[in-house]
Amino acid sequence: MRLTRRDRLVLFAPVAVLLTGWFVLPALIGLFATFTTYAPFGATIRFSGLGNYATVLQDREFGAAVRNIAVFTIVAVPLELGIGFALAYLLRRPIRGRGMWRVLLLVPWLVSPIANGVMWHFLFASATGVIDFVLGWLGRPDIPSPIGNAGLALPVTIAVEVWRIAPFVTFLLLPGLSSIPTERWEDATLNGAPWIRRVLDVALPSLRPLLLAITMLLIGLSLGTFDGVLILTGGGPGTSTVTPALYSYRRAFGVNDWPAGAASAWLIAAGVFGAGLVYIRAVRTGRSA
Amino acid sequence: MSGLQSQRRRDGATRAILLTAALAVFLLPLVWTALAALGLRANNNTRPPSWLGSPTLDHFRDVGIAEPSFWQELATSTVSAACAAALTVAASLPAAYGLARSHFRGDRLLTQGFLVLASLPAMAYVIPLSDLMRRAQLVDTFAGVVLTEAAVTAPLAIYVLHGALSQLSSEWEEAAWLDGAGLLRVIGQIVVPLAAPSIAATAIIMFVLDWNLLLVPLVLTAGEIKTIPLAMSDFFTFERELEWPTAAAALIISLVPVAVLVMVFHRVLDRFALNVPRVD
Repeated sequence: MRLTRRDRLVLFAPVAVLLTGWFVLPALIGLFATFTTYAPFGATIRFSGLGNYATVLQDREFGAAVRNIAVFTIVAVPLELGIGFALAYLLRRPIRGRGMWRVLLLVPWLVSPIANGVMWHFLFASATGVIDFVLGWLGRPDIPSPIGNAGLALPVTIAVEVWRIAPFVTFLLLPGLSSIPTERWEDATLNGAPWIRRVLDVALPSLRPLLLAITMLLIGLSLGTFDGVLILTGGGPGTSTVTPALYSYRRAFGVNDWPAGAASAWLIAAGVFGAGLVYIRAVRTGRSA
Repeated sequence: MSGLQSQRRRDGATRAILLTAALAVFLLPLVWTALAALGLRANNNTRPPSWLGSPTLDHFRDVGIAEPSFWQELATSTVSAACAAALTVAASLPAAYGLARSHFRGDRLLTQGFLVLASLPAMAYVIPLSDLMRRAQLVDTFAGVVLTEAAVTAPLAIYVLHGALSQLSSEWEEAAWLDGAGLLRVIGQIVVPLAAPSIAATAIIMFVLDWNLLLVPLVLTAGEIKTIPLAMSDFFTFERELEWPTAAAALIISLVPVAVLVMVFHRVLDRFALNVPRVD
């Protein structure tokens, strides 16, 4: 190629400035600050080693947040992938208005997490909600909103997130799925392969890099869950839906415990980077195999 | 082959039914909300449940009464998301081109690294960012919000544009290089026109992402610059007794701009792909 070193420098300069100033630099400064007692309006700064991390890790609320987000991620990500894949599978062959189907299915993802929380808050409410409407028609008595129930709040929060994200997965998977040549599907069909074999043997191998990339995005999205619970449950009841991001935000901006907020934020980042390492390894082994 | 054909027809019918059912399930909550915004509410106190109210547009007016600056916030959201999306694409396109057209050690790792960065939740770095921006006097300014939103979505834009540009044949570029065209001319006159649909699709998705961001404007503003998600969260944190039809109307208004954008450009969005698998 004709690109010289100087060309590359010119090409990368704008995004390097943007990312350094508003992304990398703050993140690194934040990382250093977590090993000190730094706070924006604090008078003195002392080195405190891993003290902030110890404080956070010993906090039972953070423990609950980690448990919640682990359940959230382990349940939500496969569901989002599964439902998203199923819908993309249905749309894989050209049908009339496929582009329109694809964006119509995308509409739940267009609702902001905040608006989403507002909407489901009312949909679950007794007087006007959709659940009690259906129950009423079935002759059943109303049920109290599941988001007020400590046992149901987390599953319901997960369900709402899956509702919002699964269509986005379809949107991302469809170009890949529909680019698989028709003959491959037909060969498999003629060989009498049941649909599950067709999916495993035809779709998954060629979609592997795409599926890995989507999974990476979904894991990051899930580990950072914040605005999805802020309005819907506010982390409650008790600590049943609190997430690390919500915990971190409240520490830093709610009770002005800056070091604990920054430290817990970096623990989230560590989780995402851990997943990132696995992702990069998985992409590499797929290529050499 | 007739067996295959009849099976395909059966498949087609099944698919249409399943898709319609799925679409109904996914859109039902929004239809319910839209009906409430239009004044048609369920009444679950009767048996069987009935419907209350008659169609009206009053609730859309009520939004402006409940939150007097709502229309101003709608404008702020639109302009800031548009500026941020434009800035993201403008900054990411050259980098994506550089990645797609050069081979150096670790170029693949760098591309994948951008995807990992794109997955990093904003919470991981907004706390120190808010402090930094305060020191740079950029808190509660339009520029501060736009620059940060642009930076937040840039890694994903680079990853997506890199995928699109790698698919592009470099024949035309080669010809232009041979003609003695410079870097900027090659990008401006060859790459951008050829990749225009992908670039537009990326810009639209970035606009939607920016439009719905909460955390960034939340920690970088103090009341002066307010976007719709921020206004909604404020409203709900402080005045929980908001009427459902008014909330529904606000929600529908916040959804309409992005929904219209996506519907109008649905053909362009056909070109949005994370990475298209190579068919071998």
